[in-house]
Amino acid sequence: MSVFASRRDFLIRTMATGVAMVSGLTGSHAAKRDRVEHHIKIHKFKFEPGTLTVIPGDTITWTNLDIAPHTATAQDKGWHTGSIRKGNSKSVMVTRDMTRDYYCEFHPEMIGSLIVLHE
Amino acid sequence: MKQFAISIISALALCTIQGAVNAADMGTPADLNDLEITHVAYTADNIDIRYAHLALAISTNPDIHVFANTMIRDHTAVNDQALALLAKLQAQPQDNFLSKALLEAAQDQINIMSELRGAAFDKAYAINELAYHKAVNDLVANSFIPNIENVEVKTLFEAGLEIFTAHENHASMMVKMLK
Repeated sequence: MSVFASRRDFLIRTMATGVAMVSGLTGSHAAKRDRVEHHIKIHKFKFEPGTLTVIPGDTITWTNLDIAPHTATAQDKGWHTGSIRKGNSKSVMVTRDMTRDYYCEFHPEMIGSLIVLHE
Repeated sequence: MKQFAISIISALALCTIQGAVNAADMGTPADLNDLEITHVAYTADNIDIRYAHLALAISTNPDIHVFANTMIRDHTAVNDQALALLAKLQAQPQDNFLSKALLEAAQDQINIMSELRGAAFDKAYAINELAYHKAVNDLVANSFIPNIENVEVKTLFEAGLEIFTAHENHASMMVKMLK
């Protein structure tokens, strides 16, 4: 088997696995899974996790562990947690059309993103 | 004239803290005890809050206002944490040569920036913020943190350094944007 054939097979297998994983997620959402409350930690000027997969109806809660206040704000400002002080949390309910990319309004270099799957 | 003032500010900002350190012949930052170091940090926070209030009063640029409000919010939060820790430790910050020198240098800076308006002020403010945070971060990372004895004070300074590094990056973005 040539190297190219081997690489091509690997890529196809990897893509197939990815599609199966996404299908699996979509399938489980199609089965109307319970709404989930997700938690994002704000620590050392980073959103953790930086990327989160959610479905409409889920709730996302950001908790700030830093001394400096932070926000989670959509890039188009369509949604906004408001200021979150140290030790406090703020939540947002996921909607179908919410903007995926967000940042901290006070510290624009802090960015995060949401992957919104649809039921 | 405005360009000259910006050049002066740029040069002054770069040597504000270093100049303050060199000007003092009573010692070096490494000689300061924990309570003196805390006083310097508290003073440096308040200086940046003063710069921010000056920016809010003079600038009409929304990006400058966002940055200045962040400086007030974050440096106030750090100072509140420092005061809470000192209260817990039943200690008082101690004034020292470096705090005094920093205050004098900051007043010179404010006098120059107060004369500027419009884009000239915005540019000077951004340049000063970048240079100021670079200098403070160098001082905190290389002179203060290695010499702080109290574990809780050291932890607070490490958290503060994360905040000030974010400010330095934000200021760097502003300087590039205002070129």
